Amino acid sequence: MFRLFRYLKPYWWQVLVLVAATGFQVYMTLRLPALMAEIINDGIVKEDVGMIWMVGGKMILFAIISAIGALVSSYFSSYVGAKFSQDLRADVFKKIIFYNMTEMKSFSTASLITRTTNDVTQVRQTVTMILSMMLRAPLFCVISFVMAVQTAPDMSWIIAIGVVSILATIILIMSLVIPKFRLFQKLVDKTTLLTRENLTGLRVIRAFNNQKVEKKKFMRTNEELTRLLIYVDRILELQNPFINIIFNGTTLLCAWIGISLLTKDFAYLGNMVAFAQYVGHVMMSFLMLSILFVMIPRANVSAERINEVLKTSSKIHWKKETNGTPDKVPSIEFKNVDFNYPDAEEKVISGVSFVAKAGETTAFVGSTGSGKSTLINLVPRFYETTAGDILVNGISIKEYAQNDLIGRIGYVPQRGILFSGTIKSNIKFGAPRATDAEIKHAAEVAQADGFISRLPEKYNAHISQGGTNVSGGQKQRLSIARAICKKPEIYIFDDSFSALDMKTDAKLREALKPETVGAVVLIVAQRVSTIKDADQIVVLDGGKVVGKGNHFELLNTCSVYQDIVKSQLSDKEFKDEMTLAKTKRKEVKNA
Amino acid sequence: MHNDSLMHGENKIKNAKGTFKQFLSSIKRYRFSIIVSIILAIASAITGLFTPKILGDMTTLAFETYPNIDFVTIGQQAIVVIVLFLISAVLNYAQAFILGIVSAKYTRDMREMIIDKISKLPISYFDRHKFGDTLSRMTNDIDVLTTSMSQEIADISLSITTLVGVMVIMLLISVPLSLISFIIVPLSVVVVGKIAKFAQKYFREHQTTLGVLNSKIEEDYSGQVVIKSNSYEQAALDDFEETNIKLAKASLKSQFYSSLSFPVTHIFTNLSYVAVCIVGGILVIERSISIGDIQAFVQYVSRFNRPITEIASSTSTIQSLLAASERIFEFLDEPEEEPDPVPSHEIAKVKGEVEFHDINFSYLKDTPVIKGFSVKVEPGMKVAIVGPTGAGKTTMINLLMRFYDPDSGYITIDGVPTREMKRSDVRGLFGMVLQDTWLFSGTVEENLRYGRQDATLEEIKQAAKASNVHHVIESLPKGYKTMISEDSDNISAGEKQLITIARAMVANPPMMILDEATSNVDTRTEQLIQDSFEKLTNGRTSFVIAHRLSTIRNSDLILVMKDGNIVEHGSHDELLKQNGFYAELYNSQFADN
Repeated sequence: MFRLFRYLKPYWWQVLVLVAATGFQVYMTLRLPALMAEIINDGIVKEDVGMIWMVGGKMILFAIISAIGALVSSYFSSYVGAKFSQDLRADVFKKIIFYNMTEMKSFSTASLITRTTNDVTQVRQTVTMILSMMLRAPLFCVISFVMAVQTAPDMSWIIAIGVVSILATIILIMSLVIPKFRLFQKLVDKTTLLTRENLTGLRVIRAFNNQKVEKKKFMRTNEELTRLLIYVDRILELQNPFINIIFNGTTLLCAWIGISLLTKDFAYLGNMVAFAQYVGHVMMSFLMLSILFVMIPRANVSAERINEVLKTSSKIHWKKETNGTPDKVPSIEFKNVDFNYPDAEEKVISGVSFVAKAGETTAFVGSTGSGKSTLINLVPRFYETTAGDILVNGISIKEYAQNDLIGRIGYVPQRGILFSGTIKSNIKFGAPRATDAEIKHAAEVAQADGFISRLPEKYNAHISQGGTNVSGGQKQRLSIARAICKKPEIYIFDDSFSALDMKTDAKLREALKPETVGAVVLIVAQRVSTIKDADQIVVLDGGKVVGKGNHFELLNTCSVYQDIVKSQLSDKEFKDEMTLAKTKRKEVKNA
Repeated sequence: MHNDSLMHGENKIKNAKGTFKQFLSSIKRYRFSIIVSIILAIASAITGLFTPKILGDMTTLAFETYPNIDFVTIGQQAIVVIVLFLISAVLNYAQAFILGIVSAKYTRDMREMIIDKISKLPISYFDRHKFGDTLSRMTNDIDVLTTSMSQEIADISLSITTLVGVMVIMLLISVPLSLISFIIVPLSVVVVGKIAKFAQKYFREHQTTLGVLNSKIEEDYSGQVVIKSNSYEQAALDDFEETNIKLAKASLKSQFYSSLSFPVTHIFTNLSYVAVCIVGGILVIERSISIGDIQAFVQYVSRFNRPITEIASSTSTIQSLLAASERIFEFLDEPEEEPDPVPSHEIAKVKGEVEFHDINFSYLKDTPVIKGFSVKVEPGMKVAIVGPTGAGKTTMINLLMRFYDPDSGYITIDGVPTREMKRSDVRGLFGMVLQDTWLFSGTVEENLRYGRQDATLEEIKQAAKASNVHHVIESLPKGYKTMISEDSDNISAGEKQLITIARAMVANPPMMILDEATSNVDTRTEQLIQDSFEKLTNGRTSFVIAHRLSTIRNSDLILVMKDGNIVEHGSHDELLKQNGFYAELYNSQFADN
């Protein structure tokens, strides 16, 4: 938490003004009881009305000055709070936006979102609280204490009794309750989980007629939670009565002691009244501090989560300028590439080598977890290889400037991801200078022009956040159009076709052919129909290459590939394909 | 953040009066406890009232009897004070104790009612409403009830009693002094209220800007891949900064204006304090009040202050309490599934003949999904449902399982209309394996037993073996006792599907409904799944949403769906001969390779 206080540094003088104004305000407020004692001792007892008016006038002046102090400190605490969270949020966002997939994955997107939003808000609220309350409470405490001792030194021991009993009460109650909070959270989480399961499993639960079973499960947690709530409540509710007793008790004590001291010095008449008020302030400030001590640990969790983000930097370092001259003709070469996630022992990719040439399509197949998707994500350096090298146009990707390398690549992710804006702004996302004709052409190739032109606003149609107003297939087609619009040298399709129905898939690939003449195309796919025409198919299993060749070659040589094909075709069709493959092999041999 | 902005938008109550009535009637069973605790709260407030007055009297007595102070009488008064504040504290605790139990039990009841309601609402409700919507009633709204209920009932009765009591005592001590407080203190409350209203405008602006910024963050983080692959980082950062600066400005304003209430109350309390000192001092000299009365009065003024601000803040808490209750009641009042017919038909020994009779169905009025569809499925037939994504293939499942009922027409099983059967009986006839492999957090064994609660472990293992998942389960760290949870990585998507197949096998129903997985399953598992599907459908009437050609071709009947309609039905060869949509679909996928 306190590490984040460095974000207050640029605003040091505002903080200073804030502290001064608060101190001023507290001091002026606390002068009032002393002046009241003066009214009692010098005005009332001596029956001097002029004196009362004079001291009273002073009090009014002090009250006004104190209010001005409060006003100034309110402004500066709001100012510092707003600036603090602005700077902090910007830093967190900046860190994250330059993260690579490795960091994104290790935190998870959802967690990063809460860190930038909720956690920052939480920390900011606490900082504002600290700037106003935590500053005020100790000031109140110290100044009241000094003034109390000044007005009635013989009675100072009462302060000690009051403070000790307040602290003892708070500590006792908190030590009984705080250990239960974790359990409480767990039970609350569990009721949420069970409710969610009831919702997500709606159909399954009804299909198996298990509504009663679900309810029984839920009620068990529900009862447990209720019992805990009652227990915690019983203890927490002790706090108010106890504190009331302590406050009343000390006030009584002040009166009693004050009265018995009257015989020694008649000024105690007014002083004991003022003293009782000071003691009240001291105890009150301890109460306020105790609230903060409950709040700070909560903010601490958020602060820690933010610090984690701030401490983590992308491990990938790009060159400022590309080192060397890339070939004019695009190509990709993997040389013995290894990859494993940090802290993971198992290699996701191991010893992969292949060459992908211009004008050719290279496809990657394999089961889930075979590493095919990770493999192509190494090309734009979303992940960094742990060994081996990848050459793009003859130069290692590590020698490229970021814009240079990324500018050559048209990348289509697995899920169609769109940004809020218009269809047009989404298609030209990677090519800001694209003309309307180019945008339309890209959409046509991606088989998206059809549905776009049916929209009332055509290319200016609004896309809502997360693209929720277009279907999954449409999203995917638009994200393909986005890559095409960039006119890249290298196309990467990370399983981008599976959201499309087979008919659109086939049409799109047909339209794509003239676009990709002279470009390198990498495709990851599930469907055999999507990849069987590829010039080169790389079969992956457990991160290793187990087959390389075209469809028919692999059918003859690679058993993993055979399995994949078999699972997607009927028995008869599979037999036909195999016969075809065998005749092809004979043809090749004969030739 | 996001929730806050939602909360603010939803804090408006549509029907405060109605909701309040509903709230009262829902809490009826606890009325006795509530009344007792209100009485206790009032008693506690009253006994606590006299402390300052008696303390003041002690001072007066000391002042008047000086220098021969009457310590005996003062001592007696001190004891009275001690007794009074102790009684007040005990009563206060008793009141809180009772209300704590009431509110815990009340929220427990509400949770139970919500979970009950979930199981009684028609599926269509959840297809129309987001899960998050229902979930937030169970979490956020219940949370509001828990935190605000027990406090508010007691606080309000305490505050009102204290307010009235303090006013009476103040008036008894001195009318002119009271008038000063009665004017100044409410004035401050009014001014603070005005400021709050003024600040509200900026507060809303702040919330909207925060909402905009948060959705930008969400969007950019989830689209990180696209940002990276288009070198868009700097542009995204600039865009973010622009909103961030706007937010900081809005935040400064809303914070400052809402914090203004502090200096304002501050000056008002101080001024009334000063006024009491001056006027009180003069009154003492004029002998119209005694010296201890000023001392008491100063304390009463601060006690007078507190309930007013508390009542003011209570109104906003009560508002959110009512808003939360309204959302909960709204949910509880949703129309439930039509009750099952009485008496209902039962089928003792099912052959598995299913017939659709002239079915018309629509999710939304005026957009018919199925029009006049009739077909007869003989016992043991395999029916494949095919069509492009989004063609409404799940509609068939919805109708068969009676998740939805047709608008007209009916389905019979062995000649018995399903409408005349209990829903649970209809559903018991089908085993269902969906693409969405729903498993709950619990052990593998518990999940498998979900098919039939009285299944023995042996039966469960048999089903797992038949579904080719026994070995997978055995190789898990704790075998059948391994916990499955949402985020557990120990089981792959394909294996999850195998477990759902085994779960259906445990139930051993006479008919099956299957949804083939499209992707995310590795080759080996895929074969295992297909093999177990084969076993499941063997000899049973089964409906399969099919993606694989092999499944489709081996079916006895194919229902071809397009844009929500069943456009063709027949066997594979018949459909190819028709040369219609099915033929087109088939050819585009497989033939021209």
